Amino acid sequence: MMEFFANVERLSLSVWIRESPSLLAFPFILFLHTLGLAMLAGLNVGLDVWLLGRRKLPPFELPNIYRVMWLGFGINALSGLLLLAAYPAKALTNWVFFLKLLCIVIALWVLQHLKGELAGTGEHDVSTRARRLAFASLLLWTVTIFAGRLLAYTHHILLASEGL
Amino acid sequence: MLDAFIDWIYTTRLSWFVNNYRWVWPTLESLHFCSLTVLAGTVGLFDLRVLGLVKGITPSALHATLRWGVVAFGVSAITGVMFISGASEQYFYNDAFRMKVVFLVLMGANAALFYWREFAGIQALGPRDDAPRSAKLIAGASLVFLAGVMLCGRMLTFFRPPFFH
Repeated sequence: MMEFFANVERLSLSVWIRESPSLLAFPFILFLHTLGLAMLAGLNVGLDVWLLGRRKLPPFELPNIYRVMWLGFGINALSGLLLLAAYPAKALTNWVFFLKLLCIVIALWVLQHLKGELAGTGEHDVSTRARRLAFASLLLWTVTIFAGRLLAYTHHILLASEGL
Repeated sequence: MLDAFIDWIYTTRLSWFVNNYRWVWPTLESLHFCSLTVLAGTVGLFDLRVLGLVKGITPSALHATLRWGVVAFGVSAITGVMFISGASEQYFYNDAFRMKVVFLVLMGANAALFYWREFAGIQALGPRDDAPRSAKLIAGASLVFLAGVMLCGRMLTFFRPPFFH
């Protein structure tokens, strides 16, 4: 497995992301990852706190908000893959990274179910299920963000090619 | 003058606290990102409604969430001050940090302009009403300034002064 990580690290794309002095390499990809976080997790959290602060929900046209959130997810997935290509062993040998991925998958599942609770043609009560989903969403994004930040402090291997 | 100020910061108990426990800095970073997420989400949701990308709901119904944005900004500011107390040179001798402060000031001025000129009119809008163009400009600028804060925040590490390690 370490040989595979080392081969990925030697790809010209990986080397460019890691070692290029250009701000468009590692720094800009990191920024895109943060921008995607703000668009996906940010708007999701915005919807959660809005829902939790109400007893009744007015009719709400959601498609455009969900489009922005899915665009954020796309930016995050792409920038995340690029960051992973730069340091595959750093992430894939750390259980915190897998915790982050698991939380993202569950948070996206919750987001889709929340859509059904928010959508409606007329004003309706906020259901207990909707509140539980919103709480779960807040918790999942919090764990995701903590796990993402703690990756920098919990990894045991930075580059597989250095150990071979 | 600035060096003397930095030396004084390092004598404070806050600086000692940030630098003497290994768990403090990672925790502050995580809290800073959590608060950024809440700020971006609550402000972003309201801005999208003013811009007309979200319809079917009154802006006033979404405005209530902005108080969480204010709380998040407070957490960001507190964690930000703690970062500065722990590694002052990294921030005071850093062009990315200076630009981040510029974007924060622009965000504040933009928000003040919104409440001064547009807020009353926006609160009176119905679920399907369009906001005036002037309010849309302010909402668009708000999103641009927020992205600027995030961009400069991310660039901080890459603009550290050479002597800082």
